[in-house]
Amino acid sequence: MDYTKQIQEIVAKLFAEDKIDVFAGYRMTGFDENQVPVLIQSSGEVSRLVFNDKSVFNLCNYLKYDHTRNKRVGLVVKGCDSRSLNLLLTEGQVKRERLYIVGIACDGVVDEQGNKMQNCEECMFPDALVYDELLGTQHPEGKYKVNSDIKELASKGLVERRAYFEEIFESCIRCNACRHSCPLCYCTKCCIDQETSKLYNGANNTSSAFHALMTWSLHLAGRCVDCRNCEKACPSHLPLHLLHKWNERVIYENFQEHLSGVKEGDRGAFYKYSLQDPDDFIM
Amino acid sequence: MARVGVFVCFCGANIADFVDVNQVVEEVKRIKEVKFATNYKYMCSDPGQQQIRDAIIQYRLTSVVVAACSPRMHEKTFRKALFDAGMNPYLLEIANIREHSSWVHQKDKKAATEKAIDLVRMAVAKSIANEQLHEISVPVTKRALVIGGGIAGIQAALDIADARIPVVLVEKSPSIGGKMAQLDETFPTLDCSQCILTPKMVDVASHPYIELIPYAEVLELEGFVGNYKAKIKKKASYVNFKTCTGCGACWQKCPVKVPNEYNMGIDKRKAIYTPFPQAVPNKPVIDAEHCNMLTKGKCGICAKVCEKGSIDYKMQDEIIEREIGAVVVATGYSLWDPKPYEEYGVGRFKDIITSLEFERMVSANGPTGGVPIRPSDGQVPKNVVFIKCIGSRDEAKGIEYCSKICCMYTTKHTILLHHKVPGSHSYVFYMDIRAAGKGYEEFVKKAQVDTAATYLRGRVSKIYKKGDKLIVRGEDAQIGQVVEVVADLVVLATAVIPNKDNPDLARLLGVSYDKYGYMSEAHPKLRPVETAKAGIFLAGCTQAPKDIPDTVAQASACAAKVCGLFSGDTMKKDPMISSVNNEFCSGCQNCVKVCPYGAIVTEEIPMSRGSKEMRTVAKINEGVCQGCGSCVAVCRSMAISLAGFSDPQIINEIVSI
Repeated sequence: MDYTKQIQEIVAKLFAEDKIDVFAGYRMTGFDENQVPVLIQSSGEVSRLVFNDKSVFNLCNYLKYDHTRNKRVGLVVKGCDSRSLNLLLTEGQVKRERLYIVGIACDGVVDEQGNKMQNCEECMFPDALVYDELLGTQHPEGKYKVNSDIKELASKGLVERRAYFEEIFESCIRCNACRHSCPLCYCTKCCIDQETSKLYNGANNTSSAFHALMTWSLHLAGRCVDCRNCEKACPSHLPLHLLHKWNERVIYENFQEHLSGVKEGDRGAFYKYSLQDPDDFIM
Repeated sequence: MARVGVFVCFCGANIADFVDVNQVVEEVKRIKEVKFATNYKYMCSDPGQQQIRDAIIQYRLTSVVVAACSPRMHEKTFRKALFDAGMNPYLLEIANIREHSSWVHQKDKKAATEKAIDLVRMAVAKSIANEQLHEISVPVTKRALVIGGGIAGIQAALDIADARIPVVLVEKSPSIGGKMAQLDETFPTLDCSQCILTPKMVDVASHPYIELIPYAEVLELEGFVGNYKAKIKKKASYVNFKTCTGCGACWQKCPVKVPNEYNMGIDKRKAIYTPFPQAVPNKPVIDAEHCNMLTKGKCGICAKVCEKGSIDYKMQDEIIEREIGAVVVATGYSLWDPKPYEEYGVGRFKDIITSLEFERMVSANGPTGGVPIRPSDGQVPKNVVFIKCIGSRDEAKGIEYCSKICCMYTTKHTILLHHKVPGSHSYVFYMDIRAAGKGYEEFVKKAQVDTAATYLRGRVSKIYKKGDKLIVRGEDAQIGQVVEVVADLVVLATAVIPNKDNPDLARLLGVSYDKYGYMSEAHPKLRPVETAKAGIFLAGCTQAPKDIPDTVAQASACAAKVCGLFSGDTMKKDPMISSVNNEFCSGCQNCVKVCPYGAIVTEEIPMSRGSKEMRTVAKINEGVCQGCGSCVAVCRSMAISLAGFSDPQIINEIVSI
């Protein structure tokens, strides 16, 4: 999977036709085989762009910053990225007419060691769901699978599971990189940072990390698209996907097989009411 | 530093018998911020309130906690006590130790006391974070909308209009009058229904403060109490009411005959018709479904005979808008279809009719001129069997509730039969005779003596035909035997059910409805005419089965509520509503989506001061918001807070136990 050439051509044309102000893509780090996101502002920089199976980051994250806000933005999206883009469109964070979307029918990306990412193995929607033009050949839609990590978690009891997470969160340093890297964490001021809330303190300890991460995961429940930007950003290498995948499973099983970001306009299980919603927990 | 006063109520014995109120006071006194704590037999009484007022001044209290009954009961009372002592009324917190502790833990005094202490402790913690709030003023449009022109709607409209408040009365059918116009005489005094109703109908039509819109439906209601906007669809009547004189030439000449709804289909009406001779407005409408001109494009006789040229086949539905401040819903009821009673032969035997059909036959202006007849052969019946509770109190086939009116009107029917058919005899199969009401029991007793009707307590198991008679087989539980009655006519007292479109209307208006489809009142005892949505009131059978006296009383109650609502130019509203902190709002609009009242809209604000770039934030309409808190729950960035239930208050509560 290498679309470097096509993307460079498309972007050069977009700048030539003055359709965009800025383009979000990937460039080589310059010191190894890995890639980092880059924002291109003119056609002169187009040669820096690359795209292959090492283009892992979800570029939708860059739509929330001032560099791109209120500008005409072009960007590359894979299947998972397009789902988060759908949510951003639904939640009114970006305007579709400001975007030029280069969709990728993605064959899966690899981690730094060259192994295929776990989320790509389980991917249900490898092709971009929203795009202006699509590169690559389309794939059939996948089936929902519960992965082995979650099965293992489910086999644990409630107390055991809590202890497990507490143990993991011990190495959290509260740097909030997970939040900053998440395309759906666009709040003007995060509830965790609000002084008035009193719920969270800034302390760097397990209890504070537990609280913050649990809140974060609940705010992403029914929204997370499993792009794993957070895991890539985490300096402590926490398996943050476990939180999200767990929620994803609970919501899929209880709320009419809801999957986040698949359709534009679908806000997710927490924000819509259906007569089929489970209510057996109400006394 | 907060200075809290705690007042624990005995509620007579309601609390004191199951909660150690002295211990509660002792425990609460240990809390640092509590500067005064006491208990009293009835905190809501004047001496009880005086203690609160005195303590506020003496101990310079900054907030007050009353540990008593539900805030629904006495929150207003105690708020007023605070106000009288010069304190902001919203610095009050109520710990509900009656419903939440003493009533539900009557077997365990120790645990109930502990729970009561926890509840009071939480209320104290919350009250420390209470803020001074001020009532909101909302402007009021002084015009009421009454939906439904039956006796409930008529009464409500007249009472409101008599207070010089404009009323818009919308009626679905071509004439007002409703079900009452179909009745012959009314229990328990046997006044002629038409004689007491029609003058009121005429009053409605001629009242300067009432705008009568017949043959129309409410399509939409948006806005909030005092400021609603209603969209009303005037159905095409194909007759220009302004020029029509109601001479009747059109319907006399109309060639199409259609079953007459007013007479329960016993006789026929024309395709252009007035529902009944005393109709208000007394102008005909064309039934578009059956009119030859409108269905086939041929005929046009009515247009030819109309001297005024009032017939307009090209008339279209018209949608009009009215700004209104309050709504009275008086849409009435329907009758249950007795088809599920197959063992009675309903549908197979012509001589089984419903009570309203019987009512039409014995009515002086009815299709048979006031004499009941057998539909099968037109003979006057001698032996008539009345069966009560058809569908009512029947979980298997119908509904669980009692329809309330059938016992009384069946008694009335036995009297009417006795009067109109000499030598006739009534048999009444009943489960109970429910005659609770002024003069009702006397009415039933007198009827039983006068008519010598046979009352048989028990259910009918089967009705079958023998010759041209019907044999009614049932049980007489009082003698414990099966009885068979030879009947000429069987009258079924079918259940009162809500109109089929009641749930749709309820959703359109934004009020709740119960499992049957009746609209729900805000409180079954203390707020029986209000709905949970402010400014919408219920009258008559829209809410539950009712007889005419109750319906009229409720309609007048609605009128009183509407007049109260409109008594000032602005309306005071509870300040416990949501507000958005624009700083934190990220504009995801999830709150807009979940708000059940449509109280949240979005607005564009500058990115920063003086900036030309805009961003979207949520905005709450103070008038519409009811303070339910749904938006607070879905706001991820905690930009929305609910006054009186702010995060610091809730967290204080949680931390305190």
